Amino acid sequence: MRDSNIRRRERIDTFFKYLFEVTGYVTIALLGGIFFMLVYNSVSFFAEISPVDFFTGNQWEPESSEGKYSIVPLVISTGLVALGSMIIAVPLGILCAVYLAELAPTRVRNILKPAIEMLAAIPSVAIGFLGIVLVGPGIAKLFGIQNGLNALNGSVLLAVMALPTIITICEDAINAVPKTYKEASLALGADTWKTLFKVIVPAAAPGIIAAVMLGLGRALGETMTVLMATGNASAIPCGFLDSVRTITATIAIEMGEVPYKTTHYFALFAIAAVLFIITLVINLIGEYFANRRRRFHA
Amino acid sequence: MKFPSTFLLVLVALISGCSGNKHSIKIKGSDTEVNLAVQLAEAFHPTHKGIFVSISGGGSGLGIASLLNGTADIANSSRSLNSKEREMFRDNDMDIDSFVFAQDAIAFVVSESLLIDTLTTDLLAQILSGELISWSSISNLDQPVNIYGRQSNSGTHAFIKHKLGIEFSPHAKQMNGNAQILEAIKVDPSGIGYVGAGYVQNGSMEGIKVLWIKAGSNGIAISPFDQERIARGEYYFQRPLFQYFRKKDRERISSFLEFEKTDKGVGLIKSSGYYPAHYER
Repeated sequence: MRDSNIRRRERIDTFFKYLFEVTGYVTIALLGGIFFMLVYNSVSFFAEISPVDFFTGNQWEPESSEGKYSIVPLVISTGLVALGSMIIAVPLGILCAVYLAELAPTRVRNILKPAIEMLAAIPSVAIGFLGIVLVGPGIAKLFGIQNGLNALNGSVLLAVMALPTIITICEDAINAVPKTYKEASLALGADTWKTLFKVIVPAAAPGIIAAVMLGLGRALGETMTVLMATGNASAIPCGFLDSVRTITATIAIEMGEVPYKTTHYFALFAIAAVLFIITLVINLIGEYFANRRRRFHA
Repeated sequence: MKFPSTFLLVLVALISGCSGNKHSIKIKGSDTEVNLAVQLAEAFHPTHKGIFVSISGGGSGLGIASLLNGTADIANSSRSLNSKEREMFRDNDMDIDSFVFAQDAIAFVVSESLLIDTLTTDLLAQILSGELISWSSISNLDQPVNIYGRQSNSGTHAFIKHKLGIEFSPHAKQMNGNAQILEAIKVDPSGIGYVGAGYVQNGSMEGIKVLWIKAGSNGIAISPFDQERIARGEYYFQRPLFQYFRKKDRERISSFLEFEKTDKGVGLIKSSGYYPAHYER
């Protein structure tokens, strides 16, 4: 009686063990499948357009008669918007995380933390809308230019979207710094500011770098917001006040109308593959630093 | 085990809920035509209670792709099919037919403060292709030209490119729709953009000026609102608005197409700022 009961339990346990194992592998298979599909379709593209033109040209004009496929303006645009968003979000994020982890009274923290996490829940299309009606006109007025649909607008919006990621992971990293570091610093006579910025933040640096990388990954992959707020001009931008067209926006705009199995269709897979590789590398760097942090402070 | 059965039921309902309804007509495509199509559908509904017409925009290219993929019954298009698209319909064994239900004129708009009232097509080509980068040589304004265009999935975008025989300047901004272009021009004295004439008549004209267009250097300047000249086909940027459909669906959708030809339908077309079609192909 008891034996059969145990056996039944063991059977159920094994069943669930395998079930969970399968779900794990399904995720990996999905990632592999997506990567394979991107590469497979990109190969068809590079059969027709030489990689040299793709990586060195200066125009993305698939609709023109000769069909110019160069990823350069798109990569520069994507990079510019992401860089701008990090310039805004990184200092804000780190300072906010330091405040949350070390300075804020418990009651403030209890309100602030969920509020920051709520920021991540705002749909990107709503943020893009704010970019059109609020941030864009604001930028136009501030800089005395005619129109605010430019890289700076995208950067401001993406900074808002990347902040929750950066703050949450930074705060975890700062909290993981052993208390003894702080106590030692204070005992040696350093004041709070010195302790924070000469001891705690450097000790948490790997985690902070991980946070920035993951925030950057988020900014690079964001589509709707930049599509709505950056003007989508395909020329190579010369600064933050120029309109830009990111890789993601290009795919979103052109996917709807592109005829299947044409060079243009494969080209969109090729730029998607490039974006995938960029974000993968950035996420890997982020993961590397996140793991290093764990090893030091375990 | 109450949960799985409820779940299954919901799933079945979700899957079957939106398929196989013979009495619905799905129309997708041109953003230029979407407002007009919605008005036509609203007027159509009271007399044809059993038929549900659903309409969405997204651009002519998207409508045609949807027709090809079977997710639309009628593709609104402000341009005719290009050779690639024709080929693909042929490859998929789809016989399609078109119906011209209205005509549209494209209005070029600038800010009210710009001292220009007419433009020749030659100058327009220079401006939109990015050759002419500053307003200073042709007007009172010493500022670079700011082009507000549509995205490449727009039939209007393709039509102007084809009609002027140019490639658009890479500095042209690509806006999401006619309304966004008008909003941008309102606040930008150096902007120039193009929208369907119906959009300007319906929307407010405040802060915006519609240019008269001269074909060539010695033509006469014509406004996109000139009913008579457009009826004679004299405005340079007028075009037929197509509705493409699969031939096998003709019976199913004909009641809507017929409605568009009635006096009521034509009246709506006129009052929305479009022009009635004079022929069927």
